[in-house]
Amino acid sequence: MEPKLLLSVDIGSTYTKGGLFLLEGEELRPAGREVVPTTVDDLGRGFARVREAVLARHFRFLGAGHAAAADIPVYWSSSARGGLKIAAVGLTPDLTLSVARMAATSAGGKVVRAFSYELTAEDLAALKAVDPDIILFTGGTDGGNSRVVLHNAAKLAELASPAIVLYAGNRKVRDQVVDILRGRDVATAANVMPEVGTIDIEPAREVIRRVFLERIVDGKGLSSVVEAAGRDPLPTPLAVFELVRTIADRVPGWEDFALIDMGGATTDFYSHTRSFHGGDAIILRGLLEPTLKRTVEGDLGLRVSAEALFRSEAAFLEGRLRDAGSDLAPLRSYVEDVSRRTEHLPADDEGRRFDRLLAAACVRAAALRHAGITQRVFTPQGGFQVQRGKDLRQVRRLIGSGGYLAGVTGPDILLEVCAPGADDPDTRHLVPDAPACYADADYLIPLLGNLAADYPAAAARAAVAGLKPLTSRTS
Amino acid sequence: MDAPRIVLGVIGADCHSVGNKILDAYFTEAGFHVVNLGVMVSQDEFLDAAVESNAGAILVSSLYGHGLIDCEGLRQKAVERGLDKILLYAGGNLVVGKTPFEEIERKFKAMGFDRVFSPHDDLADAVKMLREDLEARKS
Repeated sequence: MEPKLLLSVDIGSTYTKGGLFLLEGEELRPAGREVVPTTVDDLGRGFARVREAVLARHFRFLGAGHAAAADIPVYWSSSARGGLKIAAVGLTPDLTLSVARMAATSAGGKVVRAFSYELTAEDLAALKAVDPDIILFTGGTDGGNSRVVLHNAAKLAELASPAIVLYAGNRKVRDQVVDILRGRDVATAANVMPEVGTIDIEPAREVIRRVFLERIVDGKGLSSVVEAAGRDPLPTPLAVFELVRTIADRVPGWEDFALIDMGGATTDFYSHTRSFHGGDAIILRGLLEPTLKRTVEGDLGLRVSAEALFRSEAAFLEGRLRDAGSDLAPLRSYVEDVSRRTEHLPADDEGRRFDRLLAAACVRAAALRHAGITQRVFTPQGGFQVQRGKDLRQVRRLIGSGGYLAGVTGPDILLEVCAPGADDPDTRHLVPDAPACYADADYLIPLLGNLAADYPAAAARAAVAGLKPLTSRTS
Repeated sequence: MDAPRIVLGVIGADCHSVGNKILDAYFTEAGFHVVNLGVMVSQDEFLDAAVESNAGAILVSSLYGHGLIDCEGLRQKAVERGLDKILLYAGGNLVVGKTPFEEIERKFKAMGFDRVFSPHDDLADAVKMLREDLEARKS
């Protein structure tokens, strides 16, 4: 079979990356990549520039026999100006609202606000202020609560916002809800929690993806790129999410792994591993979380979110600085500086040390929040472990992706995920034990994520082959 | 008509799961839509499940003798959570020792439970009472 060329582009908030891939039979080989600054005012310009750069520098070296440059299929993703903003509305915080958050983040969105019980006038003002792209509206099991759901539908009907309302709550009142919201932009999906404790987020995820394509692409200034590429984009986190799933399904030995994508503003944590393993003296309380899970931490980042990180992880940062014979003051001024100059790259040892410390804090906190816990409880029938949240102890491999983690030379920072976390001897955080660490050194993950739908096996293998193993000797 | 919804579980740090499975099967067979939360269920978990599923009753089991302290305050919390009309049933080995059942029943009713069952009650009676009580609450 004739080898085929594919171009993949990812429009990030800071950089637009492009990569050319050579598809030969069942194998995809990277054949050159380029990076240009993202042109925020008109994303199409950066897209055109990276495409030209990739083709100009790499295409001509591939020799004859290939299609003309203009005929190379282009796949692309975009983090769409800070991502897909989703406001989640649920009934109880621990049930439907918690599932709504899961659905939103695994669809590549970022939960900007979350509301439980009856929406109030104040909540509506807050909803309007955050200006979400989608309001994910849930509540009630199928045939369950309708009173609060109908109340909230009436409140949302009053809301003056261009946001699309996606109803994924109690199926029994779906028609009524749609009726109440008539005149607004409404979409519906199957209930995210049809029964107490049963999670069904795939249908809502699929509708969010469709809504992103049909109605949001335009608003984010992406339509010129759609025209140039001749194809719809994926939200970048969704491309990564699907690649994680594909790797776990297709590459032997990668059934249980995690990926951390750390940027200036957020830290995303993806895991693929069974959530609960059962056993004689262990009981799961709360929701059984999905095997593939993504969390987004909006207060963990090295630049835009550095101040929020400094506040939320102060105790950890102070402890590490104290061990090194220092205190928080110099780090505080560094954080103030870099959160204003978000493009700053450290030029001296101190700056590099601080970035390293902030990165460690992000990785550690993101892992502790993503992972569940077990607590030892004593009952008249003996000692038991009660598990809440997801068990990551079977995670054997860990990938670091995104600017900082792509460039690390040793596993130390990624191994911060193994943080014990708890002071209480009867509480254990279910973080990975001692995973093998890898860096996505060539930023291939999002680019191959774009290709995963059409070429799953090849994209998964190429993603794993392109990783740089991080062993302690090189650190 | 939809099957009436009930929430079922074993409260507190109690891991006795056999009776729970029997109750689940029996009430399901009797035509109820059972939301079974299993063992070691906290008061909040019972209430969250009842709110989401719009349940008419919460059936609390306790086998290990600490039922009294585990169930204390459930009625008030239910009222605070907007579940003012929900039926609360309790059953099992509710307290340790040889307290007469009448005494136990009095204590649980004082805490706001509508019905209290001993290990010797017949489940068929419980089903009958539950149907009648749910019907009575509707009017």
